[in-house]
Amino acid sequence: MPAAVASRWQDRRRRVFQSVFQRELSSPTPQAVPLPSANLSFSQGLQYHSGTGPPVTSGSFYDEDTQDNTQPAFIDPPDQGLLVSHTPSNSFHSTVTAVSQPSQVLFAAPDAGTGDQVAYDNAWRLVTARITLPSSVTSPTSSGTLLADAALPFDAEFCDALAHVVHASTLLPGAIRTDDIFSWHTHQVRCHFSQHVIPLLSGGLDTGSSGDGDPGREGSEQERTKSSHYERHMVIVMGSVRTLEAALRLYSQGFDLLVKGLTHAQSASAFGTPAINVESLTNRFRRDIHALVGNSISQQLTKSLRIILVRLVGNVLGIPSDDDDGARNLESRRPSPPTDDDFKALAARQRLQELVEQLHNVGLAGERFQVLFAEVMNWMMSAFVCGAYAGLWSATDRGDLSSVLNTVSRGTGSSVTSPCIISLMDWVENHFARLSFEVLSRISHDSGPPVTLSDLKTFQSLALSRLSTLRIAELFDIVLAWPDSRGALDDLRATITTSARRLQLTSHFTQALKTRLLHPGCSTLEILQTYIDIIHTFHALDHSKVLLGHVEPSLKLYLWQRDDAVRIVVTGLLASPEEVRAARKVREISKHQAEQKKAGKRPEAGARRGASKRPVVTPTTTGRSSRTPNTTRQRDDLQEPSIKTPGATPIKSKASGTGKLVELALLLNDPTKTRHTLVEDEELDWNDMNWVPDPVDAGANYKRPKSEDVIGTLISALGSEDVFIKEFITIIAERLLGLSDPARFDQELRVLDLLKRRFGEAALQNCDVMIKDIVDSQRLDVAIHRAWDEQRTLTAVTPATMSGHFLRSADKRKKAMLQRQQQQQQQQQLLEPTQYHARILSRLFWPALDREHFLLPDPIVEEQKRYEQGYEHVKSNRKLTWLNQLGTVRVELELRDRTVTVDCTTPQATVIYAFNDSEDSGDDNNTRIETDNKPPAARRTVDELYTTLQMDEDLIASCLEYWVSKNVLRRLRSPAAAAQGSHTYVVIESLSDPIVDDLPTKIDDDDPFSNPDSATATIPQDSGQAVEADTEKPTTTINPKEQERNTMYWQYIKGMLTNASASMPLAQMAMMMKMLIADGFPWTNEQLGEFLAEKIAEGEMEVVSGGKYRLVKK
Amino acid sequence: MSGIQNSAPTLGARKNVDPGQNAVKRLQTELMQLMTSPAPGVSAFPSADGNLLSWRATIEGPDETPYAGLTLKLSFEFPANYPYAPPTVLFRTPIYHPNVDFSGRICLDILKDKWTAAYNTQTVLLSLQSLLGEPNNASPLNGEAAELWDKDPTLFKTKVMDRHKDIDDD
Repeated sequence: MPAAVASRWQDRRRRVFQSVFQRELSSPTPQAVPLPSANLSFSQGLQYHSGTGPPVTSGSFYDEDTQDNTQPAFIDPPDQGLLVSHTPSNSFHSTVTAVSQPSQVLFAAPDAGTGDQVAYDNAWRLVTARITLPSSVTSPTSSGTLLADAALPFDAEFCDALAHVVHASTLLPGAIRTDDIFSWHTHQVRCHFSQHVIPLLSGGLDTGSSGDGDPGREGSEQERTKSSHYERHMVIVMGSVRTLEAALRLYSQGFDLLVKGLTHAQSASAFGTPAINVESLTNRFRRDIHALVGNSISQQLTKSLRIILVRLVGNVLGIPSDDDDGARNLESRRPSPPTDDDFKALAARQRLQELVEQLHNVGLAGERFQVLFAEVMNWMMSAFVCGAYAGLWSATDRGDLSSVLNTVSRGTGSSVTSPCIISLMDWVENHFARLSFEVLSRISHDSGPPVTLSDLKTFQSLALSRLSTLRIAELFDIVLAWPDSRGALDDLRATITTSARRLQLTSHFTQALKTRLLHPGCSTLEILQTYIDIIHTFHALDHSKVLLGHVEPSLKLYLWQRDDAVRIVVTGLLASPEEVRAARKVREISKHQAEQKKAGKRPEAGARRGASKRPVVTPTTTGRSSRTPNTTRQRDDLQEPSIKTPGATPIKSKASGTGKLVELALLLNDPTKTRHTLVEDEELDWNDMNWVPDPVDAGANYKRPKSEDVIGTLISALGSEDVFIKEFITIIAERLLGLSDPARFDQELRVLDLLKRRFGEAALQNCDVMIKDIVDSQRLDVAIHRAWDEQRTLTAVTPATMSGHFLRSADKRKKAMLQRQQQQQQQQQLLEPTQYHARILSRLFWPALDREHFLLPDPIVEEQKRYEQGYEHVKSNRKLTWLNQLGTVRVELELRDRTVTVDCTTPQATVIYAFNDSEDSGDDNNTRIETDNKPPAARRTVDELYTTLQMDEDLIASCLEYWVSKNVLRRLRSPAAAAQGSHTYVVIESLSDPIVDDLPTKIDDDDPFSNPDSATATIPQDSGQAVEADTEKPTTTINPKEQERNTMYWQYIKGMLTNASASMPLAQMAMMMKMLIADGFPWTNEQLGEFLAEKIAEGEMEVVSGGKYRLVKK
Repeated sequence: MSGIQNSAPTLGARKNVDPGQNAVKRLQTELMQLMTSPAPGVSAFPSADGNLLSWRATIEGPDETPYAGLTLKLSFEFPANYPYAPPTVLFRTPIYHPNVDFSGRICLDILKDKWTAAYNTQTVLLSLQSLLGEPNNASPLNGEAAELWDKDPTLFKTKVMDRHKDIDDD
C-alpha cells in the first residue's frame, strides 16, 4: 500500500476521531506535566479513550493542534464524550474538562512566549494541586478519616499563586489563557461527586432495600410489612446523610482554602486588584452543591425517606402504625391526637426535627423532599380522618373523644358544633399545622413563616372535605344506624357546604341504595323501614328536603315495582297499640344489647365496614322488628355469620317478628310530631333566627316543606292516590270486619283523619260510611237482642257453638253483614242466651265482597232466620243478604279426652260441624261429638262433605287442613280414596290413642302402613296452615276481580263488534280498548289474543278473512 | 277583596277548558256504564275511526212489535257541548216508522226541545226502543205509516219488512 494513501487514510481517521473526541486536544504537553492526582483522574479518562479510539502518535497530534488552536479553546465538550463511561450523572462530563483546561492553557504557552503565561500556568498548577480532591472516597468511614487530616497546607506560596490565578488580568496581563479557579473547583466537585459519592450512596441503598422489589408501593403499606423495616430504612438514610456530610466537608475544605487565600491575598496585596465578592461566591458554591445533591436523590432513598417520614410523622400526629407494640387491640388503633406528655410523640418529634436538620444541611431537603413531605402529610390527614372518625357516629362515642381535646380551637367557625369537627380542627391546628410549620421552617429559605394562618385555613378546609368524603361514603350505614347516628349527620351537615359536595353525596348515596337495598334480596318491609330511616336522616341533614328529593327517585321507582308496599304501609299505620308497645320494647332491648356488645367487643365497627360492601341491610335495622327478645337474641348470635350470607338472616328474623311497619304507628301516635304541623307560616316568621335561604340545588318549583312528615313522604312515594286509597279501603274493611271489639277503632279513625287531610274528605267518604255501618250495626244488634230477650221463652237453644258473619242484601241496595256468635255451654240444663251477632254493611260503600255459597248447619240457619226477622222488625222494607264466609265462630269441641275451644271462620266451623251430626243422626243437634260410648270416630270423605255442604272443594280442603293443624282431624291415606282423588278424614278422639287403634275398626282397604300415617298426620300441621293462608286470599279477592274485569272487556268487545264495525283486526281492537277505557287497558296484544282465542273456543267469536275477528251470529 | 281577586282566575280557567274535552270524558263514562250494566236489546259503541264524538248503536226490534227480530242500526253524533245539547241521532237501517222519515231522521221530543243533560245514550236508545212499539202518531214524519199503524197492522208489517234492509259495515 503506498505511503501517501496510508497517511491520507490516517489523516481522515484522525479528523473523524477529533471531531468526536475533541478533548483529546487537551492531552498534556511535555511542558505542563499534569500533577499526580490530576493526572490520575485524567489518565483514567485517557485509558478509556485509547481503548476505543485509534492510536494516535503524539507528534502529528501536536503539530496539527498547535496550528488549529491559536486561541485558547475552552471547549465545552459534547455530551456524548465521556459521559457514558462511568455513571449516569449529568455533571460527569466535566471530569476531564475541569482538569484539562489548565493544560490547554499550558500547551499554548510556548507559542505565546510570554512569561506571564508561564507564571500563570505555574500558579494555576500550584493552586489546583492544593485543592484537588482525593481520588478515592471508598467508604463513609474512609471519608471520615479523610476529615481527620483536614488541614490542607495554607502558606504564602499558595496565597501568591492564588492571587495570580484570580487576578490574572491585572497581575499577569500577558497570560492569555486564564480560567476561573472557582468554577474549576465546582467542576471538580461535580466529577468527584458523581464518580465517588453517588456509587457510594446507591451502593448503600442496594443492600438496605434488598427485601422489597416494588419501588412504586406506598410508603404506608410498606411500613406495615415488617417492624424492622423502619430501622433498616433509617440506617440507609442516615448512612447516606453521613456520606454526604463527609463529601460536603471535603468539598468545602478546598473551597474554604480558596476563600481563605483570597481574603488573605486581598488584605495583603496593595495592587489595587478588583475585590472579589466572597459572599456571593460562597452562596453560589453552596447552591451548586445543593443542586448537585438534590438532583442525586435516588428512588431508593426517596422510598426510605418516605417510610421514615410516615413513621415519625405518624407518631407525632397520633396515627398509630401497625407495627406498634400492643396495637393489636382495635380500639387503641384509633388515631387520636397525642397528649403533651406522650413520650413517644415527643421523641418522634425530636427525631424528626433532627433528621430534617441533617437533611437540610446536606442539601437533601430540597424541592423533592418538600414534595415528599407534602405527600406524607396528605396521606396522614386522610389516615387520621378515616381512622379517627370512621364509624364514630353517636354522641356517646364522641364523649370520650371530646375529652381528648386539650385546647379549644379558635380557627373554626362558630356554627360548627360537632365534636368530631371540633376535635379535627384542633388536631389540624395543634398538630398538623404545627408539625408542618416546624418542618418547613427548618428547610425553607424564605424569610416569612412557612405556614401562615391562611395555610391553616386551607388545611382545615381540606380536613373537612376529607371528613365529608368519609361521611358520604358511610352515609348508607349512617342511615341504617339512625337514630344513633345523629352526630355523624352533624358532621355531614357542617361539611357539605358546596353544591358539588351535595351532588357527590346524592349520587354516592343513590349508588349505595342501588347496590345495597334495591335488589330482590331485600323484602319490601326492609326497604320501607330503610326508607323511613332515610327520611329521618336526610331531614336531620337537610331540612329543605332537597337532598332527599334527589335521592328518592330511584327508591320510588323501585317501590312501585313492589306490589305489597301499599299494604305494608297501611297495615303499619294501623298497627295496634300492643304491637307498637312490643316494637318499642324490642327496640329498647336491641339497643341495650348493642350497647352491651359495644362495651364488650369493639370490632363491630370494623366488621360493619367490612360488610358494607355487601348488599345487606345490616342487622341493626332488622332487629327492631323482631317481636320477642328471644328472637332478637338468636339473631344476634347469628350476626357474625350473617355478614357472610347476605340477606338470608335479616329476612328470616323479620318473618319471626311482627312483619309490620310499626314505626309508622309510632310516628302517628307521637304527640311531638303532630304539634309540628301547627306552625304554619314558617316563611313569614321574621323572628326565625335559623332561617336560611333555599338551597342552590333546589328545583324551580321548590317549596319549603313544613316538617319532617315521614308518613306523608312515604305515602306520596307510593305512587298514585287512587291506588293507595283503594288499598286502604280494602284493608280497613278487613280490619273492621275482623275486629273483635267493634267499639274500638281509634287507630283506624286516626289514620283516617290523617289521610283525609292528605287526600280530602271525598276520597275517603267510603271509610266513614264503613265505620258508621259498624257502629250502627252494633246498636242494631243490641236492639234486636233486646227484642229477643223480651219474647224469649225457655225454649231449648241449639247447643251448637257456632257463630258466623253473614251478609244480606236488601232491596234498597243495602247489604248487610251479620256476625253471629253463638255460644253454648256444655251443661245442657243451663240455658244461656244465644250469642249471635251480625254486622250490617252498606253494600255500595264497601269494597266488593263476594258471596261464597255453602250450606250452613241447620241450627245456624234457624238463628239467621230469627235474626232476619228481628232485623226486618226494626227496619222494615229491608232484607239481609248473608255473607257466610266472612263470619267468625267460637267452636267448642268435646272430644273423648279433651275439649278444644277455638275461634275460627264460618266455613271451618261448618266443616267440623259436618263431622258431628253424622253419628247423632242429624236430628239431635244438642250432642257434640259425643264419643264416650261410641268407639268408632266420625269420618268423612271430601266428596261427602262436598255434597252435603255444597262448598267449594278448595275451601273444604283448606278447612280440613286447618282442623288437621289443630289436631282435631286426621287424614287417612286410603289408596282407594286417594285414587278417586278424595281423601278421608277422621276425628282424633283421643290424642293418646295410637293410630293403629283405628285401623282394625277401619275399612279393610286402609293403608297397611299405619305408622307412616301417624307421622303424616302430625307433620302437615305447618303446611296445612300455609295452604290455608294461601288459598283464602286468592279465592276471595283476586279471582272475582279478574273475572269482573274480563266480563267488562268482553262487553266492550261485543259492543265494538256489534256497532263500530262487524269485524276488526286484533291490533285495532286493542287500540280502541286502550283509547276508550278510562282506567286504561293493561293487556298486551298477546293477552288480548289469548282472551279472544278463548272466546273462539267458547263459540262466541270467529276469525274471518284477513285475521279479523267477529261475533258469531246467532 | 282578596276573595274576588282569587276567584277571578279560577273562573277564567274554567272557561278555558275545551268543552269537547268534557264531552269526551262524559262519553267515556257513559260507555263504561253501558258496558258494565248493559240494557237488553240495545247497545252502542264509538265508531271504528276512533272519534269518541261519533257513535254507532244497535237496537233489537222489540218482541210483539212489527219490528220483532229486526236489527236496527243508528248513528249518534255528539256535539262538543254534549251533554248540554242533544246528540244527532239517525237510523242508518232503512225503517218504516211513523216518526222516522226516509232518510232516517227521527222525530222525538227528547232529542229536540225536551233534551236535558240527565239523558244519556242509554236512555235515548231505550226511548227509541219503546218508540218502535208505541209511535207518536200525533206528529208523524211518515203520514202513511201513521195511518197504517192503526188501520192495517198487517200491511204495516209488510211495509216494514219491505223497507227493512240489513246493512253491513264491511
